[in-house]
Amino acid sequence: MKGRVAPAVFLGIPTLFLAALFVLPLLSMLVLSVWRTENYHIIRDVSFHNYAVLATEGAYMTFLMRSLVMATAVSAICTLIAWPVAYGITLYGGRYKLLFTLAFAVPFLTGEVLRIIALQGLLGPLGLLNGVLLALGAAPLRVIMYTNVASAIGLVYLYLPIVVTVIYLSLLNFDQRLIDAATIFGASPARAFFEITWPLNLFGTLIGFALCFIPCLSATLAPRFLGGPNGTLYGMAMAQQFGESGTWALGAAMGVVLFAVSVLLVVVAARLVDLRRTGFTGFGRG
Amino acid sequence: MTKSKHSSSGAAVPSAASVSRRTVLKTLAAGSATAFAAPYIRPASAAPTQLRALMWEVYAVPDIVGAFEEKHKIKFSPTFFDGNSEAYNKLRVGGTRDFDLVQADGFWPSLYFREKLIRTIDYARIPNTGKVYPVFKPDRFKLLTDPATGGHFGVTWCWGSYGTTYNTAEVPKEKVESIEVLFDPAFAGRLSTSARFEENIALTGILAATRMGTKDKPRPDGKPFNPYVLTDEELAEIEKLLIQQKSLLLTRYQDNTTLQQLLESGAIVAAPEFAQVYRVLVQKKLKGEIATDFAHQLVPKEGGLGWVDTWLVTSGVTDPAALDICHDFMNTFLAPENIKKISLIAGASATIDLRPISTPEEQQLYLMDRTEELSSMYMFDQPSSTEKWERVWSRVQAA
Repeated sequence: MKGRVAPAVFLGIPTLFLAALFVLPLLSMLVLSVWRTENYHIIRDVSFHNYAVLATEGAYMTFLMRSLVMATAVSAICTLIAWPVAYGITLYGGRYKLLFTLAFAVPFLTGEVLRIIALQGLLGPLGLLNGVLLALGAAPLRVIMYTNVASAIGLVYLYLPIVVTVIYLSLLNFDQRLIDAATIFGASPARAFFEITWPLNLFGTLIGFALCFIPCLSATLAPRFLGGPNGTLYGMAMAQQFGESGTWALGAAMGVVLFAVSVLLVVVAARLVDLRRTGFTGFGRG
Repeated sequence: MTKSKHSSSGAAVPSAASVSRRTVLKTLAAGSATAFAAPYIRPASAAPTQLRALMWEVYAVPDIVGAFEEKHKIKFSPTFFDGNSEAYNKLRVGGTRDFDLVQADGFWPSLYFREKLIRTIDYARIPNTGKVYPVFKPDRFKLLTDPATGGHFGVTWCWGSYGTTYNTAEVPKEKVESIEVLFDPAFAGRLSTSARFEENIALTGILAATRMGTKDKPRPDGKPFNPYVLTDEELAEIEKLLIQQKSLLLTRYQDNTTLQQLLESGAIVAAPEFAQVYRVLVQKKLKGEIATDFAHQLVPKEGGLGWVDTWLVTSGVTDPAALDICHDFMNTFLAPENIKKISLIAGASATIDLRPISTPEEQQLYLMDRTEELSSMYMFDQPSSTEKWERVWSRVQAA
């Protein structure tokens, strides 16, 4: 009896949780996406009009492409920065490893809005960087004021701690003795890294990349506060449908498309990567 | 259903265990139901215990609200919104049951009334309405009167325009007298506009219709020109203008603090706004905190956008005692000493004549002698088709 109850409880509760808070809202979005709005009124005529608008109006495709490029660039930058940081903590952190890792979580003690507004102050015309430049008699750096570069800086700032933490956890579980074995048998440090450390931590790296990529794809706050007139991303355009323009049905269709694109990208990544060769240990011993 | 061993032995005497369990479950269920329902259940005869308002955050002045709470032994519970459409959405999805009072501007009160989201009120119970400037009296300001019954459904309390605040050393006055200044390549990279799509399209609509010569010609709907009711040709021209304007903008500001920083730092030299930032900058100049001089063009020569903020009572207020509280709240809000305090905090011009209790500087800064200019402005309104406007705005953002 106990053997049957435990799995039911431990798997049943998360399943119920997912069904109630994820599947049902997603289904409601799906239903809303096939209705339409007319001057803040929902008209319950079933059609694929909103999807046709998304397919034929180039603007929404532009937003999606901008978001894909932004998410890819930000995730790549985060991964590039996170790897040496996490590796450094693992190798040289000593007894302060945990402290270093926790330090990366400090920004999460404040809200995302607060962090973005603080960054807006830092990068803005009266911010620290431009304030120093102006005080020195130099021209302000316009490239960091309300541009896609500023949005990217904001997104890297927001998601870097997550990527560092994930890669650090992967490295923490990595058996460093494999490196010793490789070097004993004559491998250079670079070769040992690229043939052992990197491939065996690829799964952790991919998880870190994905945990940065997916939220970047739907980012709203960073482009809104830091991006300029050319900085509208897909998430920001989608939020507008649920805000002032009141075109909820089109917004729901945008949400469904974003979900589909995200799932598609995960499927493609899963097919391209052989999990058994990436340090993934979730298949069990059998 | 199988019976337990205990129940079969004495059906008339339920077991202690089953009674106890059921009783506990029933008690828990009843208790939970009562706890959940309690806030929504109130006997009609009971005195209201709270006043729930859907409003802009800046106007919730703590000491005015606190004094009102003390007077009526009532809790004032505000919920804040950003734009009219957000408040409208909230009311439409059952908000009339959740709120007693709501704020709105422009034509939105009429829309709320048509859709039965708000109810009529009694000006006789709000004596401070008699202190408004002539331009806001019901005989001239008709947006808060039901044409069919003559009933009133809101009170005005502050007003403004979407004029242009500019750095006087950088922008010549003759240029800022026209909306064209916001599209002038001479100020490339040193302009900013609000992120609100309605005002961007409507203001550009006035310019587009002026350029096209359609503003003063008969309109398809037979009514006078309204920048919120535009033809497809005008919308196409607006889209073109807004796309051209993008390269001239440093950013579209999200809030007044950002706009203030942009103007103060010299990063931009002109921006359309509600004159709130202009007033902050002028006060800073008077205190010697900044050296730059700023001015505000209230209405451009092509015509400008204007707004009047109002308090409305939702249709969910049916209890006479609750309506009395709403009337008294609006009257308290409109009391000259209170509305002056709110006006100074929010940087907005009041509809109540505050000249007898204001300094000459305040009278000038808060446009107390210029209320008549409101009659020449186009009031904030609902776009004729939010769907069409959304497409235009999306194309502008994507271009």
